[in-house]
Amino acid sequence: MPFQVTKKSRPLIYQQGRSAILFLSPTLLVFSAFILFPVLFSFYLSFHKWNMFSQERAFVGLENYTRVLQSAEFWSVLKNTAVYTLGTVPLNMAFALLVAYFLHKKVFGKKFLRTAFFTPVIISAVAAAVIWRWIYEPNFGLLNYFLSWFGLPSVNWLNDPTAAMSALIIMGVWKTFGVNMVLFAAGLEAIPQHYYEAAEIDGAGKWSKFWNITLPLLSPTTFFIVVMSIIGSFQVFDIVYVLTSGGPLGTTKVLVFYLYEQAFKFFEMGYASAVAYLLFALIFILTLLQIRFLQRRVHYT
Amino acid sequence: MRSPITPLVGLVLACSLMFGCGQKKDRAAAKVTITFWHSFVSSTVPALNELLKKFEQEHPNLAVKAQYIPSGDALIQKLITAIQSQTAPDVSWIHADYLQNLVQANAIYQMDEFLHGPNGLAAEELNDFYPALLEAASWRGTLYSMPMEATNLGLLYNRGLFRNAGLDPDRPPQNWEELREYARKLTFDKNGDGKLDQVGFGIPIFPASGPLGNWMAWQWLPFLWQAGGYNINLEQTEVLFNSAAGVQALTLWKEIYHELNLISFTPDYDAAFPGQQLAMMLDGPWNLPRYRGFRHIDWAIAPLPAGPAKRATIVGGEYLAIFKQSQHPQEAWTFVKWILKPETQAEWSMKSGYLPVRHAATKIKAYQDFLQANPGLKVYVDQLDFGQSPRPVDFHGLEITRLMAEAIEKATLGKQDPKTVLDEAAAKANQLLQQAAQAARK
Amino acid sequence: MNACWKSAKAILFHLAIYAVALATLAPFIWMVLTSCKDLGEILLYPPKWLPSKLKFDNYVNAFAAAPFGRFYLNSIFVAVTVTFGQLLTCSMAAFAFARLQFRGREALFLLFLGTMMIPGQVTMIPSFMMLYWLGWIDTYYALIVPGLASAFGTFLLRQFFLTIPRELEDAAYIDGCSHAGVLWRVVLPLSKPALATLAVFTFMGVFNDFLWALIVTNSEEMRTVQLGLAVFRDRYTTEWDKLMAASVTATIPILLIFFFAQKYFIQGITLSGLKE
Repeated sequence: MPFQVTKKSRPLIYQQGRSAILFLSPTLLVFSAFILFPVLFSFYLSFHKWNMFSQERAFVGLENYTRVLQSAEFWSVLKNTAVYTLGTVPLNMAFALLVAYFLHKKVFGKKFLRTAFFTPVIISAVAAAVIWRWIYEPNFGLLNYFLSWFGLPSVNWLNDPTAAMSALIIMGVWKTFGVNMVLFAAGLEAIPQHYYEAAEIDGAGKWSKFWNITLPLLSPTTFFIVVMSIIGSFQVFDIVYVLTSGGPLGTTKVLVFYLYEQAFKFFEMGYASAVAYLLFALIFILTLLQIRFLQRRVHYT
Repeated sequence: MRSPITPLVGLVLACSLMFGCGQKKDRAAAKVTITFWHSFVSSTVPALNELLKKFEQEHPNLAVKAQYIPSGDALIQKLITAIQSQTAPDVSWIHADYLQNLVQANAIYQMDEFLHGPNGLAAEELNDFYPALLEAASWRGTLYSMPMEATNLGLLYNRGLFRNAGLDPDRPPQNWEELREYARKLTFDKNGDGKLDQVGFGIPIFPASGPLGNWMAWQWLPFLWQAGGYNINLEQTEVLFNSAAGVQALTLWKEIYHELNLISFTPDYDAAFPGQQLAMMLDGPWNLPRYRGFRHIDWAIAPLPAGPAKRATIVGGEYLAIFKQSQHPQEAWTFVKWILKPETQAEWSMKSGYLPVRHAATKIKAYQDFLQANPGLKVYVDQLDFGQSPRPVDFHGLEITRLMAEAIEKATLGKQDPKTVLDEAAAKANQLLQQAAQAARK
Repeated sequence: MNACWKSAKAILFHLAIYAVALATLAPFIWMVLTSCKDLGEILLYPPKWLPSKLKFDNYVNAFAAAPFGRFYLNSIFVAVTVTFGQLLTCSMAAFAFARLQFRGREALFLLFLGTMMIPGQVTMIPSFMMLYWLGWIDTYYALIVPGLASAFGTFLLRQFFLTIPRELEDAAYIDGCSHAGVLWRVVLPLSKPALATLAVFTFMGVFNDFLWALIVTNSEEMRTVQLGLAVFRDRYTTEWDKLMAASVTATIPILLIFFFAQKYFIQGITLSGLKE
């Protein structure tokens, strides 16, 4: 059982079922109306042809799924999404952990620094994209200016099909690492101080404390972050929409952008729903794998 | 214990009996409110509000509730959900691209219902509209909407930069050769650091999948026409954008793009032009109010240069449709009809920068005086006479425009030559047309 | 010598982390500076950092273009209500998943996780239909109720609850506390960092939401700040000056909330008094 937590006999064990129903009911009520029903409805739609304007929905069986799987564009979009995920998730997590870890220590102006690192998360994607377009500007942009300090040639970040994905990844990491930083910070705060004190008595160094105490005790948080980051980056949409719109030459077109396009540009809701369910299947399998391989290493107290 | 509700119910009943007759009378005199969804930018909203106020003054029994919806995708998303839940507005501002879906879903009225009604428009009045606009407002030859305002494409250029380069600022490029030559002369790297300091002409290349993809295709069409081409044949069985004319027009774009090394230049022409880094660009009249604010540049508008075959520009606009879910279609029509009046059109154009949809508006004295004072706007208005709109594509119009946009992006940014990419796009488009024809036969 | 090296190291460390923070913050600083320039200066190419003269007209003009006062009221009311509601529903559900034994727990939890994997773009229309059937279109219910359940929040809190030592709860059970009592008196006070985190994320998510708010509201009285911002942007043109000013004012409330809510992340759990 992947989610089993060590079972011990506890008082009130017989009331647990009843309490659980009580505790879950508010969530379940809203959940079934506004999450479960829409999700199931879109599953139903994935077997139909529907242009969203009319009341008619024609049953087409698996046609939407076969069409998606036969479409060359779907596969190239899937590849782009995978590249984006592989590019952002590790960078994002490493950067977030690093910042959270350093800010956990004694630092002057901690509050200010945390706010500064969180600001990108808050800025609306539209305003952020405007600014990043200036940063990526080939002639006068900040990034190329910065590269020139190191004698690096300037790059046409947003026009060049070979560079645009990198540009998207950089902005993606910038825009979202604050979320993980906060999660890591909360996780770090939750580690009881006495573990460190005990380790210090044993003469453990900084590095060994980080490796033997911080990382294992942080693992529930890390597990959560890995799962959420992968889901998040497979579903990236906003920044693609505002920064590159899938271009140039479709090199930054990701799955949800493609889905959005099918639904709201070409009004193929059935097809778009099929794309959504294929994406679901993919993320679901990935998450199960993570649960299988990572959960084992997660250390719960 | 008696429920406290019972006396309340009694009271309500008594009141309704007492005032029953009065209520009916009130209803007859009550104002009808027309909901109107639109997507004008905030700079034109004050003008629109003035217009609406005037309408309400002239029609004491009508009120217009205008609701702003951010344009493009958001408008259509809201319309779709509204149609599904029977909450569509009375009148909405729509893009011509959506006509097929709206008509097929039986969501909007044919204009004939109103045009030939007691409160209709005479045939000669309808003839006064620019034909290109009415064509775009129709689907399969039937008019389903009315144009609210017109736009077209002109050449915006910086006179100061022309002077600096030794070009006559009063003589903008007249044909493709001059456009290319001027563009080259106006492009340079001042200090030789390998970075362009000024660019002569911005070829509008945007991601085909983005919000500006259609806009790119829209700007390319006049070049196709200037070379003597068409987007599609009249029977709508075959696209024609891959003809020799199409190849010629796309080759021109590709060659200018590479000659000027536009890949290393900002894609935000809207910023580069007022920044005096870009000397010429294609633009529509909606930006005029903005450019009037830039005192530091000496700019002007010119008609598009002529191509090897002829002079052409593209005419477009936004269209007003009346929804079948409306409770007050006749009142909605009264509103639409009022918007189409020459006086309203002239006033709307002067305040917003958009162009009027009919000739009569341009004949009004006040409007002619306004044009004399605003030569930029005059160029656009004059261009309306030779502007055309793409031949109608009744089925898969959205997909076909997308295929065209992808071909334009591929040819300019990629390594393939224009003919290959246009042929590929045309093959896919023709397949779609065949499917549509088959479905129609069933 | 050693002390010298230590303080030098500390200074270097601070320099480095402030440099990185500044780089991260640069786009925001640019946004603030831009909001004080006039349009001509904003569109200057190459761009200039500092405005030649500080101008606040953009703020005045932006606020004149739409009833932003009402929009702020709506946004804040909705965001606060959803945040408190979600803290309550999610912590209850998370407690059930983390601590209570019941049949089908794993399956239900997987279902929760699974729904997060369906992108919102395809569920938007059925969600809208649901609101329509309930008669909630263009009301506060439409903006608030769908936010009252969150798979993300439940997952987040569940993960956190799992890290709390069980011994603390056992003591409370022995003292005769009910499940609700344990959640309220033991688990929640120990979960302040996670609750603060969820609160900030929820508030921010609701405050910054655009598409959903657009779809479910019609009248101006129900509009939120993000819908107000969209007034300055259409397909072809953007009114940079007003957009930047309005964006700055839309960013600041969340920045302030984050700045002050941090107290809770930093405080964390002091387990000193609980050394069993």
